[in-house]
Amino acid sequence: MIRKVLSVVLAVLAVVFPFLPLGDRAAFILQIANFTVITAVLSLSWDILARTGQLSLAHAAFYGIGAYSYTILMAHATPWWLAILLSGLIAGLLSLILGAVTLRLQGMYFAIATLAFAEVIKTVIQNLPDAFAGGSTGMLVPALFNGQANAQYYAAVVLLAVTLLVSIWVRNSKMHYAFTAIRQGEQVARVLGVSASRYKLTAFFISSVLAGLAGVLYASKTFFIIPGETFSLSVSVSSLTTAIFGGLYTTLGPVIGSVILTTLEELLRLRIPNGYLVVYGIMLVLTILYLPRGIMGLLERKKS
Amino acid sequence: MNLFFETFLAGLLQSGIYALVASGLALSVGVIHIVNFAHGEFLMVGAFLSWGLFTWLGMDPLLSAVVAAIAMFAGGALTYRTTIKHVLLAPELNQMLLTFGISIILQNLALLIFGGNTRLVNTPYQGEAVAVLGLSVGLTKLMAFGLALVLLIGLYLMLYRSGLGRSMRAVAQNRLGAQIIGLDVHRIYLIAFGIASALAGVAGVLVSVLLFASPTVGLVYTLKAFAIIVMAGLGNMTGVLWASLLLALSEAYVQTYVPNGGRLSEAVFFLLIFGTLVFRAYRGAK
Repeated sequence: MIRKVLSVVLAVLAVVFPFLPLGDRAAFILQIANFTVITAVLSLSWDILARTGQLSLAHAAFYGIGAYSYTILMAHATPWWLAILLSGLIAGLLSLILGAVTLRLQGMYFAIATLAFAEVIKTVIQNLPDAFAGGSTGMLVPALFNGQANAQYYAAVVLLAVTLLVSIWVRNSKMHYAFTAIRQGEQVARVLGVSASRYKLTAFFISSVLAGLAGVLYASKTFFIIPGETFSLSVSVSSLTTAIFGGLYTTLGPVIGSVILTTLEELLRLRIPNGYLVVYGIMLVLTILYLPRGIMGLLERKKS
Repeated sequence: MNLFFETFLAGLLQSGIYALVASGLALSVGVIHIVNFAHGEFLMVGAFLSWGLFTWLGMDPLLSAVVAAIAMFAGGALTYRTTIKHVLLAPELNQMLLTFGISIILQNLALLIFGGNTRLVNTPYQGEAVAVLGLSVGLTKLMAFGLALVLLIGLYLMLYRSGLGRSMRAVAQNRLGAQIIGLDVHRIYLIAFGIASALAGVAGVLVSVLLFASPTVGLVYTLKAFAIIVMAGLGNMTGVLWASLLLALSEAYVQTYVPNGGRLSEAVFFLLIFGTLVFRAYRGAK
């Protein structure tokens, strides 16, 4: 019941948000709302992979690849809708390549391989010819929809809606049982005939396409991308912290997590430009120690 | 040919620090079965300690290495007691996320306090060089290597020649069995984690002299230490030495002989991680 009410409230709020009387700070608040929606996409997409038990620290790589692909494609006169679609697809294809190599790895081996992968993608982008990818100084991003804030916001809301549908579809399909079985014991799942590699690769692909699309929308919102920031570990950190804080392996959890944490982050960033992520670290540690099932765990405890 | 040997020597000296960082991580993975993502951040704290002691008190890094070792032992023990102890039975995902959270806290606290700038400890003997086998070597590099070597020998003696080391190996092999024969597992874990942190702290002091202290310097060392223990295989302490040497030499040769190698050498560890992991993954189920 709580879940349903909360979902409806959030959905209505998301749709009417730009029309609320927000006063003279409306533009700034709409921007925070936009980032919140994008973080929700990132975090939910991270969670879809986490359902197979894999801790990915490479989310920033797919997000950054999405952002860079979009910018480079637009610079070569690609229609905007095609640039967006291709960017998501490029991120997805890259995940298939990385996945084919790494998905046999488990636990810390997978986490380390993905962390290293993200760092190397950053190094590669920095060393590409400057005329092509801007080098370490970054490049300008053509804004979507002529930079209209409302249109950009609704684009993010549409992407979130798609992500939610994908998440619910995964939850209700046969995949859900396979993912859960793999998470709880891959060897056992294999013995029972679950093709673990295939399911993990599917989860990785879905997760990365969505992360890449989130990267496109984020880049077009910020006008400028730099390898050091677009591929920064903090992107991976915020997507996973948000999911864990909200509630792992749920659809609603990452959304609630991002509403709370992104608002907090944007407000903190204003006051503390350096080191505002310390809050994410504290949240992560406290959640693991005291709320292993996140906010969703709290809600469900109240229900029963 | 001289260039070849100079590169070899540079790699050899660098491997000392790598081995120091990686053996600490190997200790926490091998004994406590905790993958500590904050290991590099413990190194970073050691580096800032050394920088602070040098800048404010004029303390020589060799002396601050002692201070860092004691302080980081305490810090590690405290971390174990307040956080790690409570997730020993939790799923591996939660354990990794917890230490990852600790690393984010430490890194961002450093950013809050010191900002993003890099800071170097400039000792009076910084520029001095010594001739070794006809090659000129920086004195600080040689001292750092010597200190790392002494600590590594100490660590091996502790692990393989002392009662404490025997208990650690027993707990590492079979926690329940060790408990049954009356070993205080939590005390041993606490000491092992403390020693691992102290090793990282001393390595940090060396890094503050040879490279610099900065809030983000830890991540690189975490990754390299992981690369090394993955290459060595879990719990294989002598393997750590060989893997450190392999990583350091590969980096040194890429830097010297590959055009634009300075930037590319940053990715060498990745190739080694990947190569090893893939090799392991496809060789057997384990």
